[in-house]
Amino acid sequence: MTIMNFKALGGATMALALSITTAIAGDYPDRTVEIIHQYGPGGGTDRFIRAIGEPMQEATGQSVVPISIKGGGGVPAYVSFLQRPANGYTLVSLSPDDVINHALGRIDLSSVYPLVRIQYDQGMLLTSKDSPLKSLDDILAAAKENPGGLKVGVTGSAGFDDALVGQFNAEAGIELETVPFGAAEMVSNTLGGHIDLMYEEYGPTRGLIESGDLVPLVLFSDERLPELPEVPTAKENGYDVTLGRWRGFGIRPDTDPEIIAKLIELFQAAYEDPGYKEVETQSALQYRSEFLGPDEFKAFMDSETEAFSKIMKDLGY
Amino acid sequence: MLDAFASAAGYMLGNPMCFVLIVFSVAWGIMFGSIPGLTGIVGVALLIPFTFAFDPIEGMLLLGGVYVGSTFGGSISAILFNTPGSPEAACTSLDGYPMAKRGEAGKALGIALAASAVGGIFGTLVLMFAAPPLARLALEFGPAEYFALAVLGITAIASIGGGSLVKGLIAGLLGLAVATVGLDPLTGIARFNFGNPMLLTGVSFIGAIIGIFALAEVIQRFADGPTEANAMTEVSTKLPSLAEFLATKATLLRSSVIGTIIGALPGVGATTAAFISYSEAFRWSKHPELFGKGSPEGIAAPESGNNSAVGGSMIPLLALGIPGSATTAVMIGGLTIHGIVPGPMLMQNNSDLVYSVFIGMMLANILMLVFGLRAARVFALVLRAPYPLVGPAIVVLCMTGVFALNNNVFDVVIMLTFGAVGFFLKSFGLPVASFIIGLVLGPIAEVSLRQGLILADYDLMTLVSRPIAGTLLALSALSLAYGLWGQFRARNATPKPVTETDAKAQTDPA
Repeated sequence: MTIMNFKALGGATMALALSITTAIAGDYPDRTVEIIHQYGPGGGTDRFIRAIGEPMQEATGQSVVPISIKGGGGVPAYVSFLQRPANGYTLVSLSPDDVINHALGRIDLSSVYPLVRIQYDQGMLLTSKDSPLKSLDDILAAAKENPGGLKVGVTGSAGFDDALVGQFNAEAGIELETVPFGAAEMVSNTLGGHIDLMYEEYGPTRGLIESGDLVPLVLFSDERLPELPEVPTAKENGYDVTLGRWRGFGIRPDTDPEIIAKLIELFQAAYEDPGYKEVETQSALQYRSEFLGPDEFKAFMDSETEAFSKIMKDLGY
Repeated sequence: MLDAFASAAGYMLGNPMCFVLIVFSVAWGIMFGSIPGLTGIVGVALLIPFTFAFDPIEGMLLLGGVYVGSTFGGSISAILFNTPGSPEAACTSLDGYPMAKRGEAGKALGIALAASAVGGIFGTLVLMFAAPPLARLALEFGPAEYFALAVLGITAIASIGGGSLVKGLIAGLLGLAVATVGLDPLTGIARFNFGNPMLLTGVSFIGAIIGIFALAEVIQRFADGPTEANAMTEVSTKLPSLAEFLATKATLLRSSVIGTIIGALPGVGATTAAFISYSEAFRWSKHPELFGKGSPEGIAAPESGNNSAVGGSMIPLLALGIPGSATTAVMIGGLTIHGIVPGPMLMQNNSDLVYSVFIGMMLANILMLVFGLRAARVFALVLRAPYPLVGPAIVVLCMTGVFALNNNVFDVVIMLTFGAVGFFLKSFGLPVASFIIGLVLGPIAEVSLRQGLILADYDLMTLVSRPIAGTLLALSALSLAYGLWGQFRARNATPKPVTETDAKAQTDPA
C-alpha cells in the first residue's frame, strides 16, 4: 500500500467519523428504520409495515423493514425494542395485544411513546360452508342448547381474540369456548370441520370467502361492510361488541423531538399515498382506519387500556 | 391442464428473465441455507422487496427457487462441519457428519444432494398433479391427528440412539422437558423462564441445534487434542456411485411420501418432515445399528423428506391460500402485496402464475442437482484444512449467525448453553438424536393434544377413536412394543458392539 493510499484511507476514515458525529436529526433517516413486531413474517402486521414503508422509502431513500420477534405473547418483541437505543431507528408496532399485555402486567406501556395509529380493522366469526351453522341465530341457539359446546378457533392465547369472544359471550349471555391455533391451522381446522367457528379479519380470509369455502356469520363493527352486505353486525342485533384490531407504532420517549416530528410527517404522507390506499382497500381496512397523531393516539390507548383491563378482569385473568 | 402448462411455458419462454431469476434464486437459496443463522425464511423475506420490480410470476419464481435451494443448502454445512445451516438440516448432521468425518465427505454430500433432488422432484410432481385432493386430505388432519403423528415420531426416541433404552429415554425426555420452556401456548402462562422475558418464546430452536451440533463438536475436538482422528489427511471427494445411491431407494420413496404429506399440513414443515422421515427410516432399516454412525439411509431420509416438504407446503398455499409452512407464509405476504388474493380461486384466476411456479420449481430442483454435483467435490476439499483453523472459524460463524437471526444476544447465550449441553450428552453417551426429536416434536404433541382434548370435551376416547389418529397411535404402540422386544432379545444374545469401521465395511458394496 502506498503513502497516497494511506492518505486516502485516512481521509475516508475522517470523513466517516465526521459523518457519524454530524448525523443529527436534519439528515434523518440516513439508514434503515426497523420496526419490531410480535407476529410472524408474512402476517397482517408484517405486511402492513411493508406496505406503509413503501412510500416512506420512496420519500427518503431509506428502507423501512419489519423485524419479526414472534412468540412469548409479544413480550420478547417489546423487551427487544426497549433494549435498542433511542435514536429513532427502532420503532415498535402497537396493537390491542400490547394493551392487553399491559393490562395483565406483562409489559409496561409507559416506557413507549405512542407515535401514530394507522389501521383499524374489523373481525368476524366465520364457519365452513359445510357447517350446520348458517346464521348468527344458529350460533346463539346452538350455544344456548349446549353451553361450551361450540368451539371457536382464535390466534394467540389470552390475547385480543380471547377478549373479543369473551365480551361477545358476556353480551349475548352464551358460552363459546376459544381454542388457540396458529393462523394457518385455524383456517384448515375450520375448513376441515374440526372447530365450529373461527375469529378472523376480512383481509386474510377474503380469498376463501369469495370462493364460498368460508362463510362469515357475524361482523364486529359499527356498520356492515360494503364488501359483505349480507353479514349482520353483532351491534344491530343488540350485542354491543365493536372492538377491532388496530395497528400503530411507538417509539422510545427520549427520542430527539425533531426525529419524532419527522417520523409523524413521513407516516402521514405514507398514509395518504395512493399505493398504500390500494393495499388498505384490498383488505377492507378503509372504513374504520383514520390517522391519529401522538396526542389522540395516547388518549385512545388510555381508553383501550381501561376497556381491556375490565374485559380481562371479567374473564378471570 | 395441458393448456395451462403450455400457456405458462409460453409465458416463460417469452420472458427469458424467468430463467435468469431461477438460476439466481437457486444459488441464493443454497447460500442462505448453508450459512448458519441465515435461513430460507430470511432468504425469501429479503427478496420480497425485489419482487416489486417484476411481475408476480417472476416474483414467485424467484421466491420458489430460493425455497428449493435453501432447503438443500443447509445440509452442506451440516455434513462438513456438523453445523446445520438451517433448522431443517439438523437431522442431516446426525449421519452426514460421521460419514464426512471418516473421510467420505464427497459421498455424504452426493447422497444428500441426490436425495434432495429426488424428494424435491417428487414433491413438485405431487403438487402439479394432485394438489386439490391432497389439500382436502390435509384438512382431515385435526389436532388429534397432529398429536398422533408427533407421537409416532417420538416413539423412536427410545431406540434411535442405538445404545441403551434407558439412555435413549433419558435424552428424549430431556428434549421434551426443554420444549416446555416458554409461554404456555394455550393459556398464556409463563413456564420455566425463571423471570427472563426472552425465554417466554421458548428455547430458540436454531440456537439450540447450532449449540448442540456445531459448538459441542468443536469443544469435543479440542478436548480430544491432536489425536489421529483430528488429522483428516485423506478426504475423498468421490461422489457416490449410482448403485450406492439406489441402495437407499426404499428410504427415498418412503421419506418423499412422508415429507409431502407433512409439508401439506399447515403449521408443520420441513424440519418435522425430516425428523419423522429419519425415525421411520430407522424403524424400517435393515441396518438400524448404523444410524448415527454415517448410514447412507440416515442422510437420504431427512434430505428427501425435507425437500419433498417444499412441494408439499406449496399445496395448501396454491389450492386453498393457506400457508403450509413459515416460508410459504412469507410468500403469501408477497403475493398479496402484488394484489393477488390467495385462495381456492387462484388456480383458475391466475393459472399462468400457478403453472409457472410448477415449472419453475421443477427446473430449480434439476438446476440444484447440476450445480450441486459440481460443487460438492469442491466443498468436500474444505475438510483438508487443519481443524485448529477450521474450529475457531466455525465458532465465530455460528455466533454471528445466531446473533444475526434476531439481532439478539440472548440467542447466543442459548447457543453457548446448548454447546455445553451437547458436550455433556455425548460424554454420558446420551443420544443427541433422541434429545432433538423430543425438542422438535414435543411442542407439536403438547399443543395438539390439548387442543384436541378441548375439542373433545376432555374425552380421551373421542380422540383415539378417530380413524387416522387411531391408526397412527396403534402403529406407534406396535413399533414401541417391537422395539422393546428387540432390545430384550439383543440383551439375551451376545452383544457385538458396532464400530465406525464396521459401519464403513457394511455400507460399502463389496
